[in-house]
Amino acid sequence: MTGAGQGIGRALALGMADEGAAVIIAELNANNAREVEREIQRREGEALAVQTDVSDEASVTAMMARCLERFGKVDVLVNNAGIFPNAPVEAMDESEWDRVIGTNLVGTFLCSRAVVPTLIAQRSGRIISMASGRALEGAKNGSHYAASKGGILGFTRALSLELAPFGITVNALCPGITDTAQPRANLPPGARLEDVGANIPLGRIGEVEDLVGPTLFLASDAGRFVTGQTVVVNGGAIRW
Amino acid sequence: MVNGGAGGIGLAVVMKLAGIGYQPIILDVNEAACRETVAQLAETGVKGEYHTFDLTRKDDVQNAMRDILAKYGGIAALVNLAGGTLYAHPIQEFPLDEWQRVIDVNLKATFLCCQAAIPTMKAQRKGAIVNTTSNFALTGDATRTAYAASKAAVVSFTKSLAVELAPFNVRANCIGPGRTATARVMQNFTPERWAGLTDIPMGRAAEPEEIAEGVAFLVSDDSAFMTGQSLHVNGGMVRT
Repeated sequence: MTGAGQGIGRALALGMADEGAAVIIAELNANNAREVEREIQRREGEALAVQTDVSDEASVTAMMARCLERFGKVDVLVNNAGIFPNAPVEAMDESEWDRVIGTNLVGTFLCSRAVVPTLIAQRSGRIISMASGRALEGAKNGSHYAASKGGILGFTRALSLELAPFGITVNALCPGITDTAQPRANLPPGARLEDVGANIPLGRIGEVEDLVGPTLFLASDAGRFVTGQTVVVNGGAIRW
Repeated sequence: MVNGGAGGIGLAVVMKLAGIGYQPIILDVNEAACRETVAQLAETGVKGEYHTFDLTRKDDVQNAMRDILAKYGGIAALVNLAGGTLYAHPIQEFPLDEWQRVIDVNLKATFLCCQAAIPTMKAQRKGAIVNTTSNFALTGDATRTAYAASKAAVVSFTKSLAVELAPFNVRANCIGPGRTATARVMQNFTPERWAGLTDIPMGRAAEPEEIAEGVAFLVSDDSAFMTGQSLHVNGGMVRT
């Protein structure tokens, strides 16, 4: 689970640990990673915090080696690590574009590439990548984010074809606006995240726990024939 | 309530939902198949019930639904599975009555069953509807102009339903089977051709149970924040 130190990733790590998964917390923020590791252990689950920069090839390689050294296998990769700064295109620094694509899309590629040989050797496994409703509809001041998440959808469809012969499924989840730190940081002054929920059919913005059930479905035996799909979990805000 | 519950996928859906605690009610035009389905349920210790009527006639649907709701006092989930290609012709040869029948069985029956069940679900302020789309709704197919149109229509119908019903905590989503190993489908293939299918990345058709897993997910609280969406279970044959 990349980016498992906070937000959706943290909720998914806890949710999967509660279902008996041993969780590698591959997270850039070492303090957050250790907090999640401790929380899973407090719940009598198994976890390993590994500080990881998903945009860095060497860091991803090292994380994968720690995982295999400790557990000897991989069942599920969740590519959740992502950043979401705001900028209109005309004012966007090339460095910010590179950072967003690097973390969100290239990070998804690097982690997937690192885990695929193990999954193929096992002839089993799941890759689940966190995209976004922004990939489906776009949004102002987030063209780099939308591009990175749209790229994840194309990557998912293509990778699913490569891995299907081995019984490995590859899917993407699209949350909507979710009550986590990054959207709160992006609000205009005086705006409330909760007010956005009034326009969403199910009447509220997403909670991080909303993604746990769909992730578990895709990760489990129940989802064994679902591959190459985009699963949208957003209270009906975008109907795909 | 499973409309088309006595068919190949229907039996698997009824068995799966019964296995997780639902009381199954089968609505199907084929009485012999209904009796067989109820017999199979009885072998697992579940008392099933069936109603045989023409799902494309409003009065029949309303009367049957009224009787069922009076007996049970409520409905947790409605799964509209009845349908199929039924008739396939190049467009210039497509008889209007056959075209209309395809639309009626696949789309109108879904509309009528939803219309009959929804007042109860709204009063309950809880319910889940699963309608059936198809890989053909996404890609079309020669000779299937009626079927592809009917299934794409089911998707748009379901999205609209999702927005209407969300304020009442009633969700509506679509399940999208691809090629599935039912008797009806397999009779169109010689064993050699069935074994030699190359258009499905996972190398085989779906088992009906794999479609049933997707339906069970969509009616359960694991998908509580999903509405207006389509879940395609097709081994990667069509990637969304």
